[in-house]
Amino acid sequence: MLALTLPRRTWAHDIQAGWKLGALAIASALLFPVDDLWVLSAALLAVVALHLVSGLDVLRYALWMMKPIVFFAAIIGVYHLATWDVAAGAAIVLRMLLLVALANFVTMTTALDSMIAVIEWLLRPLRRLGVNTHAIGLAIAMVIRFTPALVQKGAALIESWRARSAKRPGWRITIPVCLLALDDAEHVSEALRARGGLTTRNRT
Amino acid sequence: MDNRVTFENVSFLRNGTRVLGPLDLSLTERRIGIVGRNGSGKSTFVRLACGLLAPDRGEIRVNGEDIYSDRAAALDHIGIIFQNPDHQIIFPTVEEEIAFGLQQKGQNKTTAHLNARVFLRQNGRGHWAGRPTQALSQGERHYLCLMAVLAMGPRVLLLDEPYAGLDIPSSMQLHRALDALDQQVILVSHDLNVLEGYDRVLWIEGGEVVEDGPPKTVLRKYRTEMQRKGEHDAGLNASA
Amino acid sequence: MERNLTFIALFAALIAALGLLPKFTLMSGIPITAQTLGIMLCGTILGARRGALAVVLFLALVAVGLPLLAGGRGGLGVFTTPWAGFLFGFPAAAYVTGLVVEKWRNGNLTLIAGVASLIGGVGVLYAVAIPYYMVGADKGLLEATITMLPFVPGDLIKAVLAGVVTQAIWKARPEAVLSRG
Repeated sequence: MLALTLPRRTWAHDIQAGWKLGALAIASALLFPVDDLWVLSAALLAVVALHLVSGLDVLRYALWMMKPIVFFAAIIGVYHLATWDVAAGAAIVLRMLLLVALANFVTMTTALDSMIAVIEWLLRPLRRLGVNTHAIGLAIAMVIRFTPALVQKGAALIESWRARSAKRPGWRITIPVCLLALDDAEHVSEALRARGGLTTRNRT
Repeated sequence: MDNRVTFENVSFLRNGTRVLGPLDLSLTERRIGIVGRNGSGKSTFVRLACGLLAPDRGEIRVNGEDIYSDRAAALDHIGIIFQNPDHQIIFPTVEEEIAFGLQQKGQNKTTAHLNARVFLRQNGRGHWAGRPTQALSQGERHYLCLMAVLAMGPRVLLLDEPYAGLDIPSSMQLHRALDALDQQVILVSHDLNVLEGYDRVLWIEGGEVVEDGPPKTVLRKYRTEMQRKGEHDAGLNASA
Repeated sequence: MERNLTFIALFAALIAALGLLPKFTLMSGIPITAQTLGIMLCGTILGARRGALAVVLFLALVAVGLPLLAGGRGGLGVFTTPWAGFLFGFPAAAYVTGLVVEKWRNGNLTLIAGVASLIGGVGVLYAVAIPYYMVGADKGLLEATITMLPFVPGDLIKAVLAGVVTQAIWKARPEAVLSRG
């Protein structure tokens, strides 16, 4: 399953994930209380420049990632137009676009493995509290492994439905998909136990 | 390498009814086959043998180890490969899948991944390391499951119908791979031709071992009985 | 132990899969995604704690950059919009849904799971999402509620469906319904 990272490396890829996430957190915190349209517009221009400097394809990718957000931005925009509160609406929309663009920039310039490594690092202090962080890594791998398989099998079920029905499947298709997930869970838990399970680590 | 899987007065119950046993077996031969109809108790037998299930009565040991209680020791002695690769492959890439077993045996992440790559190369599949497991063909997935367990170095290998659903070339390749193994191999299979070269075959029917001996004898009797059953009508009732 | 882990992981995958399957239409012809249904099912089938963990796992993977949200969305960006309250509310929704199913033992499972999904999957979810939206979009309660209103009918129907689906799964695989284990 492909992550949302850019298909090619940019300068930003070489910066450690931790730093990028930290910078994002700081930038978001700074931007959150800002209402001034001039400041927000300038910031937005800076973010666009950030993308352009990385490449035109980066800007295009960012716009693609932004598409679903535009719908929500429109809702806010329309509401504010209707109530003649354009300035406030513009501020909210600009801020939202800014935060989303920055966050997505980090997502698209960071490899999946690096992100997972950050999560594991963040969870390390929990080990002292007895949390099994190894199990978490395993769980992440399993979700990545099984999501495409479930989607594929679900699609096959839908096909099988449509081969025998004039109508598209409704909500009922969720039942066999759930059963597939449950069966997979049982089998994988057995396979996991067959290879030592969760408790045999750190033997030597 | 001498290995011994023992079943001492073993019984297994499900909802109060005995579905397997009583079994008294000492499996020491290098190549052992297991045949029987679906629902005969083979799957239960196999899961008992590798320590995934505990017997309700009696004791099961592999090379003297209590493989149900001591799971860590179990990994050194016995490994199992199930019928459907999709029910066993846990990770998105081949390297991770193999490294996992090594980590389970105590290696740290970096060492495990290194050794996984070495293992793949030794098996002529170094180029598989980064491949997504989803992208492998059926036969390749079966082979991955085999490698993932072999990498852990068990002395006894249990396989529950690994040939199911494979085309002829893949089947032959898997057979060759199993043939070459030093480990003791206990193979459950519907493919009787494969078992002809084995040292011992057990026929499990209705939770009991009804025949136990050289493949020539056991398979002949088994084939005859299966043929007889097949020639009769009356559905798929195991008691027919 | 292993069973808990795999169930949690597979349900996180299920939430993703339900969002990635082509949208299905309800009786009225409105296309909706089954993803929130998946959140409710985490609660009704796995119970409070495991259900919430499955949802948190799912969200973590979305945050990490996997396109698991309905429509193939994902990444950190979706967590910065005023609507992110829904995302942050998902685990609580699953938890409360699961709690109701675990505690309310006597009665028809369809009803119990349905009511649980209403309380958790709609009630608790919107109780988190609306205030979050109010802060993020700088709106009052009334305005925020009006903005959210179009989504409510779909979610109410999903709560009912969650009840039906839970019952169906209970019939087919009772041992897998961990909330009643």
